[in-house]
Amino acid sequence: TAALTAGLDRIPDQLGYLVISEDGVLASAGELENDEHTASVIMQMVRTANRFRLSGSADHFRSPGSEDVPFKRMSVLEDFVLAVTVSGQKVFVVKRQHAHP
Amino acid sequence: MESTLEQHLDDTMKNPAVVGVLCTDQQGHNLGCRGSLSDEHGGVVSVLAKQAAALTRDLTDTPTVCLESESGNILVRSHGTITIAVHKITS
Repeated sequence: TAALTAGLDRIPDQLGYLVISEDGVLASAGELENDEHTASVIMQMVRTANRFRLSGSADHFRSPGSEDVPFKRMSVLEDFVLAVTVSGQKVFVVKRQHAHP
Repeated sequence: MESTLEQHLDDTMKNPAVVGVLCTDQQGHNLGCRGSLSDEHGGVVSVLAKQAAALTRDLTDTPTVCLESESGNILVRSHGTITIAVHKITS
Protein backbone atom coordinates (compact mmCIF):
# COMPACT_ATOMS: atom_id res chain seq x y z
CA THR A 1 0.00 0.00 0.00
CA ALA A 2 3.03 2.36 0.17
CA ALA A 3 2.63 3.30 -3.51
CA LEU A 4 -1.10 3.65 -3.11
CA THR A 5 -1.01 6.15 -0.26
CA ALA A 6 1.48 8.29 -2.21
CA GLY A 7 3.03 9.73 0.95
CA LEU A 8 -0.30 10.84 2.47
CA ASP A 9 0.74 9.20 5.74
CA ARG A 10 3.77 11.50 5.96
CA ILE A 11 1.81 14.76 5.69
CA PRO A 12 2.39 16.86 8.84
CA ASP A 13 -0.63 17.24 11.17
CA GLN A 14 -2.69 14.75 9.20
CA LEU A 15 -5.47 13.17 11.27
CA GLY A 16 -6.34 10.58 8.66
CA TYR A 17 -6.59 9.92 4.97
CA LEU A 18 -8.60 8.11 2.31
CA VAL A 19 -7.70 6.87 -1.16
CA ILE A 20 -10.87 6.26 -3.15
CA SER A 21 -11.69 4.94 -6.62
CA GLU A 22 -15.03 4.47 -8.37
CA ASP A 23 -15.03 0.95 -6.87
CA GLY A 24 -14.72 2.16 -3.30
CA VAL A 25 -12.12 2.81 -0.62
CA LEU A 26 -8.63 1.58 -1.60
CA ALA A 27 -6.79 2.74 1.51
CA SER A 28 -7.66 4.57 4.72
CA ALA A 29 -6.16 5.45 8.08
CA GLY A 30 -6.60 7.51 11.24
CA GLU A 31 -9.93 9.29 11.75
CA LEU A 32 -10.96 8.39 8.21
CA GLU A 33 -10.24 4.68 8.61
CA ASN A 34 -13.03 2.71 6.92
CA ASP A 35 -15.07 5.92 6.70
CA GLU A 36 -17.36 4.84 3.86
CA HIS A 37 -19.74 7.74 4.52
CA THR A 38 -17.10 10.45 4.03
CA ALA A 39 -15.73 8.54 1.02
CA SER A 40 -19.11 8.44 -0.68
CA VAL A 41 -19.90 12.13 0.05
CA ILE A 42 -16.46 13.19 -1.25
CA MET A 43 -16.97 11.17 -4.46
CA GLN A 44 -20.33 12.88 -4.98
CA MET A 45 -18.70 16.28 -4.38
CA VAL A 46 -15.91 15.54 -6.88
CA ARG A 47 -18.56 14.64 -9.47
CA THR A 48 -20.47 17.85 -8.70
CA ALA A 49 -17.32 20.00 -8.81
CA ASN A 50 -16.39 18.41 -12.15
CA ARG A 51 -19.43 20.07 -13.65
CA PHE A 52 -18.21 23.49 -12.60
CA ARG A 53 -16.90 25.41 -15.59
CA LEU A 54 -16.20 29.11 -15.78
CA SER A 55 -17.27 30.25 -19.24
CA GLY A 56 -14.46 30.62 -21.74
CA SER A 57 -11.83 29.15 -19.47
CA ALA A 58 -12.59 25.44 -19.77
CA ASP A 59 -9.33 24.74 -21.57
CA HIS A 60 -6.74 26.69 -19.67
CA PHE A 61 -8.33 25.49 -16.46
CA ARG A 62 -6.30 22.36 -17.00
CA SER A 63 -2.57 22.40 -16.59
CA PRO A 64 -0.69 20.22 -19.10
CA GLY A 65 -0.76 16.53 -18.25
CA SER A 66 -3.32 17.00 -15.53
CA GLU A 67 -6.56 15.13 -15.30
CA ASP A 68 -9.79 16.37 -16.72
CA VAL A 69 -10.92 18.13 -13.55
CA PRO A 70 -11.68 21.83 -13.30
CA PHE A 71 -9.86 22.21 -9.99
CA LYS A 72 -6.41 21.46 -8.60
CA ARG A 73 -7.71 20.90 -5.12
CA MET A 74 -11.00 21.00 -3.28
CA SER A 75 -11.01 21.79 0.44
CA VAL A 76 -13.82 21.48 2.94
CA LEU A 77 -13.18 23.75 5.92
CA GLU A 78 -14.82 23.19 9.27
CA ASP A 79 -13.30 22.44 12.67
CA PHE A 80 -11.05 20.31 10.47
CA VAL A 81 -9.89 20.59 6.86
CA LEU A 82 -10.50 17.91 4.26
CA ALA A 83 -8.16 18.44 1.31
CA VAL A 84 -9.18 16.55 -1.82
CA THR A 85 -7.09 16.02 -4.95
CA VAL A 86 -7.74 13.86 -8.00
CA SER A 87 -4.95 11.95 -9.74
CA GLY A 88 -5.43 9.22 -12.30
CA GLN A 89 -8.60 7.35 -11.45
CA LYS A 90 -8.06 7.95 -7.75
CA VAL A 91 -9.28 10.55 -5.30
CA PHE A 92 -6.97 11.42 -2.40
CA VAL A 93 -8.43 12.89 0.79
CA VAL A 94 -6.44 14.14 3.78
CA LYS A 95 -7.97 15.29 7.04
CA ARG A 96 -5.94 17.90 8.89
CA GLN A 97 -6.39 20.14 11.88
CA HIS A 98 -7.83 23.52 10.94
CA ALA A 99 -5.32 26.19 11.89
CA HIS A 100 -7.56 29.02 13.07
CA PRO A 101 -5.91 32.39 12.47
CA MET B 1 -35.15 43.95 -0.27
CA GLU B 2 -33.59 43.08 -3.60
CA SER B 3 -31.78 46.39 -3.66
CA THR B 4 -30.03 45.52 -0.38
CA LEU B 5 -28.80 42.25 -1.89
CA GLU B 6 -27.74 44.01 -5.09
CA GLN B 7 -25.84 46.54 -2.97
CA HIS B 8 -24.05 43.74 -1.08
CA LEU B 9 -23.09 42.09 -4.37
CA ASP B 10 -21.71 45.38 -5.69
CA ASP B 11 -19.82 46.00 -2.43
CA THR B 12 -18.31 42.49 -2.58
CA MET B 13 -17.10 43.12 -6.13
CA LYS B 14 -15.25 46.24 -4.91
CA ASN B 15 -12.66 43.98 -3.31
CA PRO B 16 -9.89 43.86 -5.97
CA ALA B 17 -9.33 40.12 -5.40
CA VAL B 18 -12.99 39.29 -6.06
CA VAL B 19 -13.90 38.67 -9.72
CA GLY B 20 -17.26 36.99 -9.24
CA VAL B 21 -20.01 36.54 -6.68
CA LEU B 22 -23.21 34.52 -6.74
CA CYS B 23 -26.15 34.12 -4.39
CA THR B 24 -28.47 31.13 -4.78
CA ASP B 25 -31.31 29.44 -2.91
CA GLN B 26 -31.48 25.75 -1.91
CA GLN B 27 -32.89 24.80 -5.31
CA GLY B 28 -30.03 26.45 -7.17
CA HIS B 29 -32.10 29.40 -8.35
CA ASN B 30 -29.98 32.44 -8.89
CA LEU B 31 -30.86 35.30 -6.51
CA GLY B 32 -28.17 37.60 -7.81
CA CYS B 33 -24.71 37.46 -9.33
CA ARG B 34 -21.82 39.55 -10.61
CA GLY B 35 -18.71 39.04 -12.72
CA SER B 36 -17.46 35.55 -13.58
CA LEU B 37 -20.27 33.72 -11.76
CA SER B 38 -23.65 33.52 -13.47
CA ASP B 39 -26.99 31.67 -13.67
CA GLU B 40 -25.39 28.47 -14.91
CA HIS B 41 -23.32 28.07 -11.70
CA GLY B 42 -26.23 28.24 -9.26
CA GLY B 43 -27.05 24.53 -9.41
CA VAL B 44 -23.52 23.28 -8.83
CA VAL B 45 -22.92 25.79 -6.03
CA SER B 46 -26.05 24.88 -4.08
CA VAL B 47 -25.52 21.12 -4.52
CA LEU B 48 -21.89 21.37 -3.43
CA ALA B 49 -22.87 23.22 -0.24
CA LYS B 50 -25.57 20.66 0.50
CA GLN B 51 -23.20 17.72 -0.03
CA ALA B 52 -20.52 19.32 2.17
CA ALA B 53 -23.02 19.68 5.02
CA ALA B 54 -23.20 15.85 5.09
CA LEU B 55 -19.52 15.76 6.12
CA THR B 56 -20.08 17.36 9.52
CA ARG B 57 -21.33 15.51 12.56
CA ASP B 58 -23.16 18.56 13.85
CA LEU B 59 -25.91 19.26 11.32
CA THR B 60 -26.07 22.92 12.35
CA ASP B 61 -22.47 23.42 11.21
CA THR B 62 -21.97 24.82 7.74
CA PRO B 63 -18.63 24.03 6.16
CA THR B 64 -16.92 26.21 3.58
CA VAL B 65 -15.98 24.54 0.31
CA CYS B 66 -13.01 25.90 -1.62
CA LEU B 67 -12.31 24.92 -5.23
CA GLU B 68 -8.75 25.86 -6.05
CA SER B 69 -7.73 26.19 -9.70
CA GLU B 70 -5.44 28.06 -12.08
CA SER B 71 -8.04 30.79 -12.37
CA GLY B 72 -8.38 31.38 -8.64
CA ASN B 73 -10.44 30.05 -5.76
CA ILE B 74 -14.20 29.58 -5.62
CA LEU B 75 -15.43 29.74 -2.03
CA VAL B 76 -18.88 28.34 -1.27
CA ARG B 77 -20.76 28.64 2.00
CA SER B 78 -24.39 28.43 3.08
CA HIS B 79 -26.09 30.86 5.43
CA GLY B 80 -29.48 29.46 6.37
CA THR B 81 -31.39 28.80 3.19
CA ILE B 82 -29.12 30.78 0.90
CA THR B 83 -25.71 29.86 -0.47
CA ILE B 84 -22.99 32.31 -1.44
CA ALA B 85 -20.14 31.66 -3.87
CA VAL B 86 -17.21 34.05 -4.23
CA HIS B 87 -14.60 33.76 -6.99
CA LYS B 88 -11.28 35.18 -5.82
CA ILE B 89 -8.13 35.39 -7.84
CA THR B 90 -4.87 34.55 -6.15
CA SER B 91 -2.31 37.32 -6.44
